[in-house]
Parts: sequence; structure tokens; C-alpha cells
Amino acid sequence: MATCTLEKPRYAVKTPYNLSPRIQWLRDYYFQGVRRAWNNEYTSWTTGTPWDFQYNELSFYIVPETYAFLQTFRSAFRQTARRVHLHPDFWKWSLPERRAWFNYQVMVNYLPKEILPGDLLAGARFNVQTSCCLNRGEARQRDRQIYGPKGARAAMLWFHNHGYGNAGATSGHLIPDYARVLREGWKSIHADLERRYQALSPAERRGKKGGQLRAMMTAATMPRDLAAAYARECARLAESESDPVRRAELLQMAANLQRVPWEPAETFWEAVQSLWLTHMLVMADENYPGPGDSFGRLDQYLYPYWQASIRAGMDPEFGKEILKCFWIHCNTAYDGMIRTGGNQGITAGYGQLFTLSGMGPGGRDMSNDLTYVLLDVIDEMSPILEPKPNVRLHRNSPDKLLDRVVEMIASSQGSPFLLNFDERSMAGMLREARKAGLQHLINEDNVHDYAPVGCLENTMVGNDRSGTVDANLNLLKAVELALTGGYDLIPFTDPMTGQTEKPVRWSEATGDPTRFETWEQFWEAYAAQTRHIVRRIVELYEQSEAGRARFHPTPYLSCLVRGCAEKGMDITEGGAEINFVTIEAVTFATTVDSLLAVKYLVYDEKVCTMAELIQALKDNWVGHEVLQARALHKAPKYGRDDDAADEMARRVMELWAEETWKYKTRSTNRQFRPGMLSWNYWVADSFILPASPDGRPRGKFLSNALCPSNGADINGPTANVNSVGKALGGKARDGQADWQDYVNLLPNGGSHTMTFNPSLLRDPEHRAKFKAFLRGYIENGGTALQINMVDADILRDAQKHPENYRHLLVRVTGYNAYFTSIGRELQNEIIARESHQMR
Amino acid sequence: MTLGRILHLQRLSTEDGPGIRTTVFFKGCPLRCAWCHNPESISPKPQTQWFAVRCIGCNTCLEACPNHCLSRGADGLHIDRQRCEGCGKCAQACPAGALELLGRTVSSEELLRELLKDRAYYEASGGGVTLSGGEPTLQPDFAKALLRGLKENGISTALDTCGLCSEQTLDRLLPYTDLVLFDIKLLDPAAHRRFTGASNERILSNLLHILDFIRRAERPPALWIRTPLIPAATDSDENLRAIGSYLAEHLDGAVSRWELCAFNNLCRDQYTRLGLEWDYAGLPLMTAEELARCEQAAKSSGLRPDLVLATGATRAPQLVESES
Repeated sequence: MATCTLEKPRYAVKTPYNLSPRIQWLRDYYFQGVRRAWNNEYTSWTTGTPWDFQYNELSFYIVPETYAFLQTFRSAFRQTARRVHLHPDFWKWSLPERRAWFNYQVMVNYLPKEILPGDLLAGARFNVQTSCCLNRGEARQRDRQIYGPKGARAAMLWFHNHGYGNAGATSGHLIPDYARVLREGWKSIHADLERRYQALSPAERRGKKGGQLRAMMTAATMPRDLAAAYARECARLAESESDPVRRAELLQMAANLQRVPWEPAETFWEAVQSLWLTHMLVMADENYPGPGDSFGRLDQYLYPYWQASIRAGMDPEFGKEILKCFWIHCNTAYDGMIRTGGNQGITAGYGQLFTLSGMGPGGRDMSNDLTYVLLDVIDEMSPILEPKPNVRLHRNSPDKLLDRVVEMIASSQGSPFLLNFDERSMAGMLREARKAGLQHLINEDNVHDYAPVGCLENTMVGNDRSGTVDANLNLLKAVELALTGGYDLIPFTDPMTGQTEKPVRWSEATGDPTRFETWEQFWEAYAAQTRHIVRRIVELYEQSEAGRARFHPTPYLSCLVRGCAEKGMDITEGGAEINFVTIEAVTFATTVDSLLAVKYLVYDEKVCTMAELIQALKDNWVGHEVLQARALHKAPKYGRDDDAADEMARRVMELWAEETWKYKTRSTNRQFRPGMLSWNYWVADSFILPASPDGRPRGKFLSNALCPSNGADINGPTANVNSVGKALGGKARDGQADWQDYVNLLPNGGSHTMTFNPSLLRDPEHRAKFKAFLRGYIENGGTALQINMVDADILRDAQKHPENYRHLLVRVTGYNAYFTSIGRELQNEIIARESHQMR
Repeated sequence: MTLGRILHLQRLSTEDGPGIRTTVFFKGCPLRCAWCHNPESISPKPQTQWFAVRCIGCNTCLEACPNHCLSRGADGLHIDRQRCEGCGKCAQACPAGALELLGRTVSSEELLRELLKDRAYYEASGGGVTLSGGEPTLQPDFAKALLRGLKENGISTALDTCGLCSEQTLDRLLPYTDLVLFDIKLLDPAAHRRFTGASNERILSNLLHILDFIRRAERPPALWIRTPLIPAATDSDENLRAIGSYLAEHLDGAVSRWELCAFNNLCRDQYTRLGLEWDYAGLPLMTAEELARCEQAAKSSGLRPDLVLATGATRAPQLVESES
């Protein structure tokens, strides 16, 4: 054989196709990253006062990787901030008015307006760090709340270091009422605010409500005036444009921008332009790029405009071209910290999620032409991170849709969308309505209008902020505390000083477990500790929620969420009609398996004493390998469709989920609700939490969201799915269930990831079988499923030759990541995931 | 209560009949095919096997064995298979799951409960349950109890058989069977005896008996024929054409699929674990060309070509050198 001159990649990775020269150029240009002439990286803006700052670290308390840099970010943005010349009355205004005015100035009058060659949409720079606009007194007060010895930051660090998890009031994670902007225009929102303001008494106008409504009115003019500025730029470019086709496009863009988003949209082009400008200003308002700022049911509310434009003669390919420009714009969210390394510092999707298909009134399927157009756009553009698609499936989903879905899964590695399952999801939404007394807002007649945000977190649309990544709780901590009677199993050691804490009983005194005589006694201790950790995270969250409510209003976003104008209240204060904070439980399967192992080893089979088990955990299983093997291989596990083990899972679920309903935030009156997302915490926190009774040593990854522990699902994918469904409550007779015969203990939903071998989609017969598997999932499974279609060989090859696999996307949990950009540990974890073969 | 001995269940099985299925592997087979892909299913008795990669070397098993069949040498655990009675005590004691007992006794009721767990997938896919093995007809009472129980629950059933059993057994099982997967390996009786240890006369007469049942039955089962493609044994054009023309001549209209299943060597380690030699251990997978040639021979045999389906993994066209 002749020697190879160039080593080709051994496996084909999904690549984009059918891109016009315009889109190909925009896509390629985007991936040039820092080499672009200008980009959307953060610019920083100040009032000029010595106490001013921009960076609101509360938004990042849920990102442990940033803890070491909180002060750095704050300082860096402060040092690079440009001055905004203040209105003479600026300091007389209320905080929301200052903030609204300041953001208006930056977006409309200070930031450059640019249009890329060939781009069909305007709206480029939105990653900003704008002054928090606090006066001296407010700044001092905030500093005390955040930085004091009992402040939010210290509390957050303690919580994280001791293995409980994390919590913080973060941005986004909701679906603004974009459909209203398209339908009525900002004009109508502004008029509505004006009406409400005029209806206030003079005392109310002078008070908080008046300030809030004035702030919102200022914010409501921002999209109009920004669009006008972009319209001028388009007109200017058109003047010097020699290509008549491009010139016509620019003139049309200028015309679009003179109308929308202030006026209702009439054409598809106007609708997408209106949507983009309105959306990007949410990210500007919150000073955070795309954190689960989701679009909702895009194929539903854009459809009338699509139909109108098609009827008026728009070439469908041109309609797709507009959408592809929209795709590129969404990705510029990542420019925020573009200089932070390979793949532009991107590892995870930000989660500008949109939803396709799904149920309508009476169980009708809502797929339409635009659903399939959007699926084509996803397919032609992928792999690309934003926006993130979610396809809703249900019993009446047509075969045509499932065929397309399976075909797209077959040609990709990490499936280009997430699947959401309506029946189970809607059951959860109705449960939360019942629990929180919100049946007038969520009921049988409208629950089909729900949509997920961020990754897979189910919410209602346009009136709902459910804080879906705000509180992340390691359930396993309760097992640890039950084993010690309220102490840390291994006292915390400060990595800098090397000093180890003295043992302190932080929690309930549930007694010395070596004296427990029955399994039920241990369970009671676990239950008490679960009540404790839930209370603890509620208390931690309160600190940052109160801080945000007091000091970080978002008046622009408040205009887009029903309830805020009506109450004259900012969304950060609980203005939305539907207000939940979701506690996302992490380590579910590790917790269930640990309880199963304690029961099996100590009480049922009496393989060891409680004291021996505790010693083994303290020793991280070293010297206790036989016992560890029994815990790993002999004890029952969740994920095998074993009814007894899955009943333990359901019991654990019910216990902690019921606990969350007992709490509301004090500062904003938001009800807590349960969910399971677990982002990437199950990786990082595995180094904090000590060895667990399921046989896991410290540092071996915890279980991910709702998934069984790695390798535990030895009975294959259907057994795995059935266990997941049972853990959520399974099915019950009508009347005892939440919706039809479905029960769902987690209104937010739970992340479920499965990896399959590509061979199972090798021919039409097998693709039909996979389709049926998805239909089976609708009956037996959870709320959301993410599919990886890779075999371990591809991933190992990608580890060796990352240069060949720059675009290999894999699903991590609720988000896609470029495989070659994630850490070695997580890479190995993904390779180790059991690859489900259909044989 | 009917008891039976099975190896394991394969859920989400996609290769043993239509749709998504659960396949029940029975233990025990009357044939001794030289190429057998499931050597653990041949003996009707329980057997012990050891997985080196799972073993943590604790030697708990040595104490657990009442007959002292186990010893540890430099190359790992030794099982004295002459003395091993398959009591399973070592597997029970092994903390790491490195020792496994092949063959568990289970009641039809208990097994039925397991099989019904995937009803949603069967119904969505037009699938069901397949009894395979080993040979289900070797445990006729158990097989019948399962098939009848499944039918009572509205689950579609398939019987995967080598065809070597009594007519009475078939008569007991067929009324509860929706699909028969019937193996024809070789048409020549002498070659059949040489490679499988038994002549195929009874097998072929049973096939005609099934045909007779199909012709008479009110709701007749479907019939798929399966032929394993074994190099230098069954994969000759001659054998495939002979089988095809036999089917065309005797079973015209009754056969709805003829599957050619490519030789697979994944069971190599299974032979090693059972302490058995395997003549085919060194044989590579078929090439795609060889598989296509077999398919062509079958399609030109006289049976309707669209009924022929060749399946199975083939050798990669160019083997990529593994990197050290």
C-alpha cells in the first residue's frame, strides 16, 4: 500500500449544507471569532461615580467555575467602562428609571450600529455591562448585603464548599411575550403603560409604582429608537451600494426598521426583524447573553406572517435565508468573552431555546409548514449552538414529523434538538397550578401552550418566570448528614491555607445511625435531613433574590412579561403573573442507589454493620474493596425497571418534591417548585461530595439529573425509560393523576440523556423501530429526552485527533457542547456512558 | 406454576422479528452446530462463567464453593467443570459480579410480569415477545405457558426454533404463536449431520407440518425462514439455491421472509469463558462482497427475491491499523 499523505478523519461528522453564498460567508465569518473586524464582546458603561460598578455577581452564583473570578470581573468591567453623560435629573429618579434611561442611552446613542455584508437583519451589539446605576447609599447598602461576613457571597461559598450545591438569582430562563410584540407592536405596550400610569393617583405616581411605570415607558421606546438608528444605517449603506439587488435589500431593511418593532409586523421579514431586536434588548437589559432567554413556540406565532408572505409571493428559500441570518445573530451572544480561548471560549449552549410542534386544543397536533421549514433550517445550519431547538412530541404527533426527527437524529452525533413530551410535561404544569392555586392561569384549556426554556425547563409563555436554574441542590448531602447525624462526613479543608474545619453539627441531630435498628429509622433520618437541606437552600436563595429585587431591576424585560405593568412591579420583584423558583435536584440516582445500598448492605443482607459502612466511606473505600464491590454490583439500582428499586426512587422524589412546595421567597413571594436539570454540577461537585454508599468514591461523577447512574441500566434502554417514568410518579387512574392518566412530580421536568449506537438507525426498518421507541417513550418516559448518536470509537478518535473533529457536537445534559472543547474528565465520562445497542 | 430455565432476556431487541421485541433465551439445545453463536445455551444445565475484567481478586468464591471446584492460578480463576454442579453459590458470593451462573430457573408467571413491562413499545412498533435460545421447544410446558400467557394479554408472539422437536410439541405451541422463525441451515442431510450432529429429515418434515397447520388454521402464524451464513459450511451458492428452491417448491406463499444472517465472531470470548475450544475463533467477519454474493444466490433460487433479506455485520473494507 502507498503511504498516506494526509490522515483523513475516520468518521464523518455532520456538516452544514445547502447554504447560499450569503449564509456561507456569514457563518464562516462568525467562526473567525476574534479575527472579525468588530464583534459583540462586552462593552462596559459607567455613570462615572467612584462607587459605580457593572458586574452583578448574583447572576453567576450558579456557576461555580466563576467564583474565583467574581472580583476580577467586577474590577475589569469597572476599569474599562466608558462614561455616559448623565441627565441633570438622573440622581433624582428612582432606581428603575435610572437603569432604564441609562440602558436606553447606551443602546441607542452610544453603541455603534453596524450591518454585516449580506445580512438581512439588523441588531448587532447587545453584550453590554451597564452601570447598576446605584447612588452612594444604595451601593453601600448593597455591598453590606453581598460582601459582609454574613453576606450573600460568603453564604454561597459556604454552601458550595460543604457540598450542598449552589443558588443565585440569575438572568433569563423565561419566554417573554414576543408574540404580543409581533401582533401589536411596542406602540401598544407603550400605550398600555401610559394608560396605567395616567390611572394612578398623584401619590402613587410619586411612589414606587409611578417610578416603575415611568421606567418601563422609557424602556418601551428603546426598541423604536434603536430600530430608527439601524434604519438610518441601512439607508446610508444603500446609498453607496453598487449591487442593485443588495441595494434593494438594504432599502427594504430600512423600511422594515422604520415600522417594526414599534408597529405590528405584517410580513415574515418584519416579524423576524421585530423578534430579533426585541430579543437582543432583553439580553442587553439583563447584561447577560442568552441565558435561557427562550422564544417559545416559534412555528406557531411566526406562522401567520409566513403564510402572509408566501401568499404575497415570497420565495420560501428567501424566508429560510432570513431565518438563517437570525441563527447567526443568536450565536453572536457568545462574543461576550470572545477572547477567552479555543472555540471562542464556548463550551456550552446558552439556551436561546425555541419550540416546534406539540399539542394544541383537544389534543390536536400543531405541526404546520413552518415547523418543517424550521427543521430544514436546523438541519442545514447544524452543527451550531444557537438557537437551541426543542421538538414537542405527543400521542397524536404525525408520522411525517417523527420520520423527519429520526432522520435528523440519524445524520447527527448529538441530536440537533431536544425532545419534549407533552403528556408528562402538561401533567406537571397542572400539578404546579394545583399546588400554587394558579388554576386560573394554568388549566386544561391552555396548558398545551406551555413551552420549555433554557434546556428543558417547562414554563408557561409570556407571563412566567420560574427561576429554572436558580437553586441547585445535591440530594446526596442528606444521605451524608443522615450517616453522621448532622456533621460533614469529611470536614472541609481550605485549599489555600490547608486548614481543616473542626467538626460542627450543621444540621438536625438525627442521632447516631450505628444505633438504628431498622431501615425505617435510617429512612426517617434521611427524610429529616432532606427537609433540612431544602430549607437551607431556600434560605441561601433568599439572600440573592432579595439583593436582586432591591438593586437590579430590569424594566425593559418587565414590559414583556404579563403581570408587571398590571402590578406596577418589576419582574425582579415578582411582577410576573406566574412566579416560581425551581429547585433543581442534582445527584438523584446516586442518592437513590445509596439508600438502596444502605438498606441492602446493612439491613436486608447484613453484609456489614453501619459502623463498617461509615468507616469505608471515610476511607473513600480504600481498604474496603470487597464491600465497595458489593455496593456497586450486588445492591439494587435505579434504572433497571426493578419495581422495588424504582419505588425507592419514587419515594425519594416525592419526599423532596413535596418539601419544596412548603416555601416561598420572603422578599418576592415566589413559590418554590421541584425540577431536575443538574447542568454540569454532577461533574464538578463529585470532587466535593465524599464517597457514597452506592460504591462511588469521591471524584467519580455523580448521576446526571433524572438519569440512572452510569452503567446501572443493565436491562437496556426501555428499562431505563420505564424507571425514569416511574420515578416521576408513573401513571395513575384518571382522577388520581395530574393530567389524563399521567402523574408528574416535577413540574419543571427532568433532563434525561441516552446514548445510542448509530448502527440502530442503519436502515428504514430500524428507523421505524426507533420511531416506535419514541412513541413508547411518550407513554412510559419522562418529560424530555436528549439523544447522543455516537459510538465510543468516534469519541476516542476525536480525543486523539481533535483537529479533525472541531464541529463534533455531543449532548451533555440539556445542552450541546463541542466535544473537543470540553475537559478531559468530561470527555472520558461521555465515552464511558453506556452506549445502548439495539440488538 | 410452570418453571423453566432461561439464560436472560434481551429487551429492545430489533433482530428477532418485527418491531421492538423482548427475546427470551432458553437454555438447552438438541443440536450441536459447529459454529454455534450462543454456546452458553447448548447445555440444559446451569453453568458457571468467570469474567476476568470484573474480578477484584478477593478469592471469596474459593471458600463459597461446596465442592472445591475453584482455584486461582497465575492466569486467573480455574473452574473444574467436571465437578462443578452449577449450584451458583460462588456467583452468589462473588462481590463484583465476576462469577455468573448461566441459567436461572424462573416461573412463567414471574417471567410474564417482566415481559409485559415493555408493552408500550410492542404496541407502538408492532412488536412483541420472541422465544429463542437455545431451543424453546425443549421446554414445551414452559414455552406453552409463556405463549398462552402473552396471548391472553394481547401480546404478539414469535417462536424461534431449530425445528428439531416432536410434532406434538409443535401442535401445542403453534396455536399461541403469531410468527415462526424457522432455521434451515443446510439442505443436504449428510452435511447437516456433519455440522450439527443431527440429520435434517425431522426438521424438514416439521416444516411441512407447520405448513399444514398454517393452511388449516383460522389465524395462521407468519413464517420466516432463517439461514446462518457460515463460511465453508452453509454459505455456498449451492446450499443457498437448494434451500431457496425447496422453499419455492414446498412452501410457496407461506413464507413471508427469508433472512440470511452473516457469520459473527462476537461469541469468541464466550467460548473462552466456558472453557471451550471453537473451530471458528480465528475466522474474520464476511466481507460485504461475500454477503452480497450470498444474497444474490438466494435471490436467484426460485423464491420471490423480495423475500430475501441479508443481515449482519461485515468486515470493514480496509482495516485501519490500531494505534499503540
